[in-house]
Amino acid sequence: MWQRETFKKIKQIPRDEHVLPGTALCAGCGGLEALRLAAKVLGDHVVYVNAAGCFTMLAAYPYTSFKGSWLYTTMGSAPAGAQGIRDALDVLIGKGRVPKDEDVKVIVLGGDGSTYDMALSSTSGAMNRKLDFYYICYDNEAYGNTGMQLSPATPFAARTATSPCGLQHPAATIQEKKDIFEIWRAHRPPYIATVAPRYPLDLEEKFARAAAFTGPKMFLALAACPTGWLYDPGATPEVAKLAVETGLWPLKEAINGVVTHTYIPKRKPVEAYLQLQGRFRHLFEPTVQTEAIRHIQEQVDAYWRQAT
Amino acid sequence: MVAVRFHGRGGQGAKTASRILGTAAFISGYVAQDAPIYGAERRGAPVAAFTRFGREPIRERGAIAHPDVIVVADASLLDDAVAHVLDGVTGQTVLFVNSSLSADLLRTHLSLPEQVTVRDVTGIALQQLGAREAISALLGAVAARLVGLAWEPVRSAIDGELRDLGLAEPVIERNLTVARQCYDSVEPATLPQGTAQAVGAASLHQPTYEPPTKGTARIAAAGNSVLRETGGWRTFRPVLIPDKCNGCWLCFVYCPDGVITMNQEDRPVVDYDHCKGCQICVHECPTHALIAEREQEGGVAWTAK
Repeated sequence: MWQRETFKKIKQIPRDEHVLPGTALCAGCGGLEALRLAAKVLGDHVVYVNAAGCFTMLAAYPYTSFKGSWLYTTMGSAPAGAQGIRDALDVLIGKGRVPKDEDVKVIVLGGDGSTYDMALSSTSGAMNRKLDFYYICYDNEAYGNTGMQLSPATPFAARTATSPCGLQHPAATIQEKKDIFEIWRAHRPPYIATVAPRYPLDLEEKFARAAAFTGPKMFLALAACPTGWLYDPGATPEVAKLAVETGLWPLKEAINGVVTHTYIPKRKPVEAYLQLQGRFRHLFEPTVQTEAIRHIQEQVDAYWRQAT
Repeated sequence: MVAVRFHGRGGQGAKTASRILGTAAFISGYVAQDAPIYGAERRGAPVAAFTRFGREPIRERGAIAHPDVIVVADASLLDDAVAHVLDGVTGQTVLFVNSSLSADLLRTHLSLPEQVTVRDVTGIALQQLGAREAISALLGAVAARLVGLAWEPVRSAIDGELRDLGLAEPVIERNLTVARQCYDSVEPATLPQGTAQAVGAASLHQPTYEPPTKGTARIAAAGNSVLRETGGWRTFRPVLIPDKCNGCWLCFVYCPDGVITMNQEDRPVVDYDHCKGCQICVHECPTHALIAEREQEGGVAWTAK
């Protein structure tokens, strides 16, 4: 049975803010919520390496919401940027040109388009080289910053700008969400975790635990997205909660490849999650697409059969 | 050619309204084009969309610098220098503002053109459609009426656009009914004599380059985003009823922007200069101590940038 050791109560969550307001990110952004909570553990002695994406807006010239440093890269090269910074720090500290206590954590921020798609090879390379860094993927299951186009993280039957409902594909997206957690795990990094903003203590605990490991520390954060998933911004925690409670977004960690589920949901029917979001509306209106919904349910059931 | 510029906040439907107008004009037999601005469009952030239509082929592309009609989906944008709502306005420009204030009241602190129509479209949407953001059909209908299009093409344009968005039949029907009311509530405007299309050879603009030390967008400050206020994004503001609060911290924890701090008595204090009005705190408060109040223009949201 997995237990939290550092974060047992809500009031242990640090009051200090490290991602400041005034950003142009959407109201109710689930990705921002996850980053804000993570930053409470990561602190200010950090360099964020940001792959192009929604989080670009966190440091849009001439304003930055970070007290620490931020480097902007293309969608495919953030882990390579992180390698450069880590190496430079190591060399400069080794030569005594940077004092050891001025060392900083190197943290990659990438969306799902970057993580699952364009930066897959550079992430693989960084993990293979055992780069000592954090990787935070804010996964809103589509290319959000450009207007919600299909990405390899888009789940089956979600409607996106480039996978609309059509006569041939009434359930919209036909492909399944790529299992990036398992792709990462095949590289055997010391720490991988999934997090969801509605489970703040689980999230904080995982970032606190990751600090003990040297090497790649990989995080996959559910970024419930009112703009792209088409629900009222106030419902972000509710959507994130149902993603977990239906079993669609398993909360888990993998230490040196060994997987532990950190929360076992009672598994509500997937409809509870799907019905909240406009991107799945076509599954219920004008006619209920029973077959597609059953398929989603079966995928979840199959996952949990092998997981527990 | 008639050029109509829409201003709104992301999520209000300015883009869809411009599409509805473009489609309605096309169905009416005009040549038409419509396009939203591409950039960092965000829920709550200022966005713009453009519709042109006319009898002759339209050669112009891109943003409309000199609109005949401006449709403003959110009155707080009038005060937002970043939104450039009143750019290119002349004495003849027709202006529509979605606001609960009167045109005269708006004029007391803004210089507006002669022809200003004001309707509380958000109020109508809240009352009749029960949603605060569903005003694209209503704005499209108002714009179409102002430029003198007949109802029938407007009706089919709204029907088509909302159907494409995957809305259910009853929702589309309700939108059509309310859109008709909005359409009837305004009068066709006297349009300027039609914007002349720019003629003449295009000139090539040679960009100049700076060395990377000078030419890159480097930010030398830390944590200065607080200088940018996002309070003007709100339609609703979270308000605390202190007696009901049990000091559980959940609002503080779930606020994505980190604009809620807990004071010494464990009561939330909302930074209204930056709160974007997502209402997560209102949704998640277990004791209903936080409630949503509609922003009144003239309050904080009105002056916030």
